[in-house]
Amino acid sequence: MSSQTTARKLANLTAMLCLLGLGITGCRESAPTQDAPDTKAAIEAAAHDPAPANLMRLTQAQYSNSVHDILGDDIVVPAKLEPDIRAGDFIALGAGKTTISARGAELYEQAAHDIAEQTLEKHGDTFVTCTPDALSNTTDVEECAGEFVDLLGPKLWRRPLASPERERLIAIARTSATTLGDFDQGLVFALATMLQSPNFLFRAEVGLEESGEQPRALDNWEVASKLSYVLWNTTPDEALLEAAGRGELTDDEGLAAQIDRMLEDERARHGLRAFFSDLYQLERLDGLTKAPELFEHISEEVGPSAREETLRTIEHLVFDLRGDWRDIMTTRETFINRKMASIYNMRSPAREGFAMATHPSDTPRQGLLGMTSILALYAHPVSTSPTLRGMFVRTKLLCQPIPAPPAGVDTSIPEPSGKAPTLRARIAEHLEEPTCAGCHNLMDPIGLGLEHFDGLGRFRSRDNGVEIDASGKLDGVEFSDLSSLAVAIRDHDRFGVCLTRKYYQYATGQELAEGPEPDLVVAISDHFAASDFDVLEMMRATLLSRGFRTVASPATQHSQSEEAKEEVE
Amino acid sequence: MRGKIHRRALLRGMLAGAGAVTVGLPLLDAFLDGSGKAMANGERLPPRFGLFFFGNGVHPERWIPTGDGMDWTLSEQLEPLRGLESEFSVISGMEVKTPNDIPHGSGEAGILSGAALIIEGEHNTFRAPSIDQIIANEIGTTTRFKSIEFGAQAGGGGSYNGPDNRNPPETSPFALYERVFGAGFRAPGEEGEIDPKIALRRSVLDAVMEDSKKLQARVGANDKRRLEQHFTSIRELELRLSRLEEDPPSRAACMRPGDTPMMAYPDVDGRPQITAKNRAMCDIMAMALACDQTRVFSNFITAPVNNLLFQGAMAGHHQLTHDEPGDQPQVHAIVLQLMEEVAYMIETLRAVPEGDATLLDNCGVLITTDVSYGRTHSLDEFPILIAGSAGGKLKKGYHYRSQNKENASKVHVTLMRALGINVEGFGVDEGFASDSIGALEV
Repeated sequence: MSSQTTARKLANLTAMLCLLGLGITGCRESAPTQDAPDTKAAIEAAAHDPAPANLMRLTQAQYSNSVHDILGDDIVVPAKLEPDIRAGDFIALGAGKTTISARGAELYEQAAHDIAEQTLEKHGDTFVTCTPDALSNTTDVEECAGEFVDLLGPKLWRRPLASPERERLIAIARTSATTLGDFDQGLVFALATMLQSPNFLFRAEVGLEESGEQPRALDNWEVASKLSYVLWNTTPDEALLEAAGRGELTDDEGLAAQIDRMLEDERARHGLRAFFSDLYQLERLDGLTKAPELFEHISEEVGPSAREETLRTIEHLVFDLRGDWRDIMTTRETFINRKMASIYNMRSPAREGFAMATHPSDTPRQGLLGMTSILALYAHPVSTSPTLRGMFVRTKLLCQPIPAPPAGVDTSIPEPSGKAPTLRARIAEHLEEPTCAGCHNLMDPIGLGLEHFDGLGRFRSRDNGVEIDASGKLDGVEFSDLSSLAVAIRDHDRFGVCLTRKYYQYATGQELAEGPEPDLVVAISDHFAASDFDVLEMMRATLLSRGFRTVASPATQHSQSEEAKEEVE
Repeated sequence: MRGKIHRRALLRGMLAGAGAVTVGLPLLDAFLDGSGKAMANGERLPPRFGLFFFGNGVHPERWIPTGDGMDWTLSEQLEPLRGLESEFSVISGMEVKTPNDIPHGSGEAGILSGAALIIEGEHNTFRAPSIDQIIANEIGTTTRFKSIEFGAQAGGGGSYNGPDNRNPPETSPFALYERVFGAGFRAPGEEGEIDPKIALRRSVLDAVMEDSKKLQARVGANDKRRLEQHFTSIRELELRLSRLEEDPPSRAACMRPGDTPMMAYPDVDGRPQITAKNRAMCDIMAMALACDQTRVFSNFITAPVNNLLFQGAMAGHHQLTHDEPGDQPQVHAIVLQLMEEVAYMIETLRAVPEGDATLLDNCGVLITTDVSYGRTHSLDEFPILIAGSAGGKLKKGYHYRSQNKENASKVHVTLMRALGINVEGFGVDEGFASDSIGALEV
């Protein structure tokens, strides 16, 4: 590397660090003490940049959930579909960027025919309400196919079908039935068409063109879909589509009534799980790799069990207790099965499945950061990683961005030695390098506070024979180990606003730039605090805000990747 | 050395297992002219392009051979290719010229697309199409599959049509087999009724394309492009279906692979079976090429930044590249394992006869990675091999040693021209090159 480029990189790095420093010290806003009504008024008044008009592709989970809800729980949805991509923090946001590749189109085609065959086989009685006497009787065939299309079309496309759309599906059913000599086969092809259509695979959130408003309000059907996929991670139910049909979802009271109804529904729990799983990237636990010679507990069961522990604990806090979100850091209550109990060296609370257990007060293990899901995912296959764990806290819990490491530097840390036996000592040597120290000092000291937990989350008091020192400082607050680190994060003034920011992006489909929070996010966050950090209240406020219900006009958006796309063409 | 005997035995197994079409062989050979290089009607046997891409780089000082031109000796890390020196060329000393903004990601985009990575917060994507797709758009339009992407490790892969528009690699050997040789496939000479459902499926796709056009009218420019890609994907699928209704391409060496691969490859000792999966997919790919089902393949065997536990390694690959001390014996062993797989691919392609030459001769396979030295993410001394001669247009058994860090994109220009594609150059901005490497051209 030439000295000039080195100098440029150092300058860039310094600039990034300054930005970061500002981000961390400049974000302390006074804690809100207002009453709930005032914070609601503040949300109404807060300015916001509308989300871009979006075209969201159903994620793999959303595709699967929608098929199950509409066509039956017993339909086997092929595991392979177009892969999801992550953008910003979320797969749910990647859905607004990704497209359908040649391979993807093929997978969706196979899945559509496969699902359609199963549907007619398993649920023909339910969905086929009329059968023509003879295939030669075209009128009968079309009438009966029409009933099938009318029953499933609006559910799958989440809106009423236009007349030409309906006619075309009927024509496909008729032609296929005649060619194959089987009425049901005709319906299979009509259903496979509906399932491959972009009207099923994508949900457009573009607003009403005619309105001429800027930002544009989403129309009733768009609100129904968006609400449903955000809150439930699946397709709207009949009640929601009916409300959309009556035009209630563009009305404040109508929308509030639906949100309240939906939050009461079991599916809201699934939706909450989907949000946190996406945020913490818990889907990666399916492929958790740990060296079996070092971790005798490792098996295919560990990753999914660890995820279930975390999601159950969150679900319990948010729905059952309507508790203070910040307690997720410090709660000693958790939900574990035998596998997790063996990793935590506890008695299993249940012979089979998951049940509540309580960590004893004399261990530092508590809350989210005491869980194998986070401890093992943010670690290496053979060891812990204070950097990955520290980065998790900074980026996911406190929303403080950390720049990517510069390319072209040696990032290795020294091997254990007599002088530096523990990871802490080795990292300390490493951090003497000023180019590394800038960013790593933001992450590593937090991660070192979790050194009592090995790469699988098992407790240990020694590393390489030496007593672990898990003490450190988080933005000026001292901690001695996870017991006090968890409190420091719980009380950090970024903690509540960070979850608000994440949920706002997840719900609106809008990626927020780094830097000061938009007024609307601050207002919702204040409301969250005023509600004693009731997550459901924060979600409700977000979904009722104009940020959720309006989008920019499609013509006005442009990004770097779009320019590149133009270059390509 | 590990694996050698195993790999030849596997090969024999593959070729022996294909009894069904032997009747067709002599007849089909008659279509070739005397030299076997072209069909009797004057049509040249098609050139093919392949990509073999692995993650996390090499140790350049142990990778680069000594000597150059035709007079060179294998390096330590190329040792698994001993005996195959006359089947590939080494290109060393090249540099990926695009900015190295993000470790691994920038190198991957630079070597595969010749362009800087687009970085939007935590999300990044290629700015320009990758080399395999540029080539596929030229030489892949008449076959059933324009291109096929696969890889032993589950990962996104580096095959892009453009920004946020990736071709996901197939990671299951069984699924790859089903995709190419499953329902609908007929080997030359095989009788078979054409399923009437194929035509109906095509009419379904017409309807889907109509829906796409209608939706395009409502959305913004960016989303319109995404729907256009969906539209293109559907149209390609429709073409693929219509090819199943035609007679299969006459190719003497085409035979349905004998054994269907296993459904699953469970971890052994907590480590994924990279080798077994890769070889199963490599065998299928060789026959997909021999049967002219595709002319472009990309094998993303492992991904950039992958932290896989390789057999015999005590930590994940990526972690080892950074933290293993000294001369990194474990990283070295992983590079050797990957080069074993390159050797397997070369032997597999060479084992398929095409006239008086081999399938390998008609291929140009680019073999490369995302960084040169994993520990520092460097982009100079970039590891590049080309296997095969692209139908006799490229020298084999040559070591081209660049003395002045030439732009790695020259390799792509060389390959494309050898494959018969007229291009002005390859790459964008700093990554752009218009010259080929003359020394490699025949």
